[in-house]
Amino acid sequence: MKQDFIKFPLHLIFHPIDAFWDLKSDNRGRLLVAFAALVLTIIMMILQKQYAGFLVNYIDPRTINSIIEIATVAVPFFLWCTANWAVTTLMEGEGKFREIVLATGYSLIPVILIYAPMIVISRFMVQEETAFYYLFNSIAFFWFVLLLFIGMMTVHQYTVIRTIITMVLTLIVMGIIVFLGALVFSMLQQLYEFGYNIYRELIFRT
Amino acid sequence: MARTVKRWLVLLAAVSLLLVNAVPAAASPAPYESYNYNYWKEAVPSPDAYLPERTISGRDLGISEFKDPGDVNVSPSGLIYILDSGNSRIVVLDPDFKLLRVIDGFMMDGSKETFNLPGGLFVDEQERIYVADTSNGRVVVLDGEGKLIQTITKPESDILSTQFQFQPLKLTVDHVGRVYVVAQGVYEGIMQFDESGKFIGYVGTNKVERDYGEYIWRMLSTKAQRAQMVLFVPTEFSNADIDHKGFVYATNIDPGSNEPIKRLNPSGEDVLKRFGYVDVKGDIRFRNNPGPSKLIDVKVLGDGMYSVLDATQNRVFTYDDEGHLLYIYGGKGNQVGTLKTPVAIEQSGERHLVLDRGKNNLVVYEPTRFGSRVNEAVALHYRGEDTEAVNIWREVLKLNANYDIAYIGIGKSLLMEKKNEEALGYFELGMDRKSYSVAFKRHRREMMKEHFGTFLTAVIALIVILILTRVAVKWRRRRQVDREAGFH
Repeated sequence: MKQDFIKFPLHLIFHPIDAFWDLKSDNRGRLLVAFAALVLTIIMMILQKQYAGFLVNYIDPRTINSIIEIATVAVPFFLWCTANWAVTTLMEGEGKFREIVLATGYSLIPVILIYAPMIVISRFMVQEETAFYYLFNSIAFFWFVLLLFIGMMTVHQYTVIRTIITMVLTLIVMGIIVFLGALVFSMLQQLYEFGYNIYRELIFRT
Repeated sequence: MARTVKRWLVLLAAVSLLLVNAVPAAASPAPYESYNYNYWKEAVPSPDAYLPERTISGRDLGISEFKDPGDVNVSPSGLIYILDSGNSRIVVLDPDFKLLRVIDGFMMDGSKETFNLPGGLFVDEQERIYVADTSNGRVVVLDGEGKLIQTITKPESDILSTQFQFQPLKLTVDHVGRVYVVAQGVYEGIMQFDESGKFIGYVGTNKVERDYGEYIWRMLSTKAQRAQMVLFVPTEFSNADIDHKGFVYATNIDPGSNEPIKRLNPSGEDVLKRFGYVDVKGDIRFRNNPGPSKLIDVKVLGDGMYSVLDATQNRVFTYDDEGHLLYIYGGKGNQVGTLKTPVAIEQSGERHLVLDRGKNNLVVYEPTRFGSRVNEAVALHYRGEDTEAVNIWREVLKLNANYDIAYIGIGKSLLMEKKNEEALGYFELGMDRKSYSVAFKRHRREMMKEHFGTFLTAVIALIVILILTRVAVKWRRRRQVDREAGFH
């Protein structure tokens, strides 16, 4: 229990190349951990907006909306997983969908681990020290990107160049999915309007 | 029975109708809506700082109506000078707006001279009247009685081209008699003349705002095309005023500029402080308004405050010396207090005077309790008397709980009194991160000083306990191993 849920994820973020391989071959990853990481990331984002110190918090409190916060993290997460799966299927990637979700989820762990203390510490910072806050936030982000990169490389058994290409392609596909989604949504809405208008015509004709 | 009930109901309905009309909806006495910008750059309603008191036209004074008046100035002794450009005369009023005299010309070289569409005037401490006599191309200096002292005509200088037309529009004079002239078609800055009328040079050139798209386009075009393009010339100044330290406040009407107001030091550099939330440029949001503010006059009010007049929306914006927007009043319209074509703003005692060319009258604004309290507090803060300012700031907050500058003012005073923790709350309300940081640094150091001993004791105790438990665990484990091995 402790091994799978705490020790392995912590081991993974410091030794990603070994650990992602273990995650794939020895079946060490747990979906529960990946989703917990996602949920905790969302919580950290919300907490940061709400509770980060006054000197670093430039958010208008009236604009904070947890639902939107959830959507801005969860939607890209699943979009990434889906798009990456779609791209890698075509590009001879060896990863299964589950493994993609696991790799992406586990990559979020540094974000949680850095954001949580930084929210607390930022409340005790003065202006000159806020540079550290921004520094650590950037470290969290780049760590996440690095882990995601190594995760993708290991899970799909790609070379470096190929990984970069697939990641860029994934981003493009994400855009296409969003575009198609919006298109379908708008068409469905128009279809509905059309049906509703016919219904109304029929009702008023009788 | 039913009929009585019905009758009563009808009566009740009638009475309720009457009562509805009897209580008028609470309305502001101002014909405009006052507002201010908050930290998030939203226009939020604010109490009126100035209310129109009366208007003064030529007929009110018993003389013929003003015609296209161009400028108004209040001398240090309190006399009000109105430059009635269309009638080529200067109307002098006493501080109670009673007519003193009319100057409609002066004697020069034995013959009577008149003004020709003069644009601006200024009156100095010795009651000398400086008139920018635009169409005659000269500046006329008269004494208080209207006798000519000297004229400043087209300057002779190597840096001026021979075709140069000297058409002074506005002017201001410092306390040693140097004249600063805003002239038509002069892009080099404000023309500066010494007390004898000799041209010294320019001060404070406006920088050309470079448009990089245009720049690239220009590089790609041919010489013939380039010759047809518009030139990038700096914008002209629209007006100038001077503070008691001799710093010239100048406005320009460049619509793209974020710094339309300048405070020029003697070497011509802009030293205006811009520490407020919003740019010192009049309106910053245009939801229903067209375009940015066009600032056509500036008046230094004293104690670091200055007002600018916006000709786009006909509003007056007042700032303190740090660049905080204090209040906004005025607006477009035809009522008393709204303006048609304002051209100049002045201050007479506590009152503000705005000259309206469109309606040919002078509008007198009086500060409300809110406005005068703000003025008082800002003045006290400027003089460094923050402790006295606090009480006034608190009163201001009662009148307008959204007044961020008041929170910052109270915070700063608390900071002086070393009440750092209380100051924190006020700075947070006023969204002043810089001062907050200062207060927090002091507060943190204090806390550290106070609690460092306790903190260190706790840490050492914790370390000792940790070591002890480690040792204990190890010891017990060894005991167990020993026991299993049969040593005990």
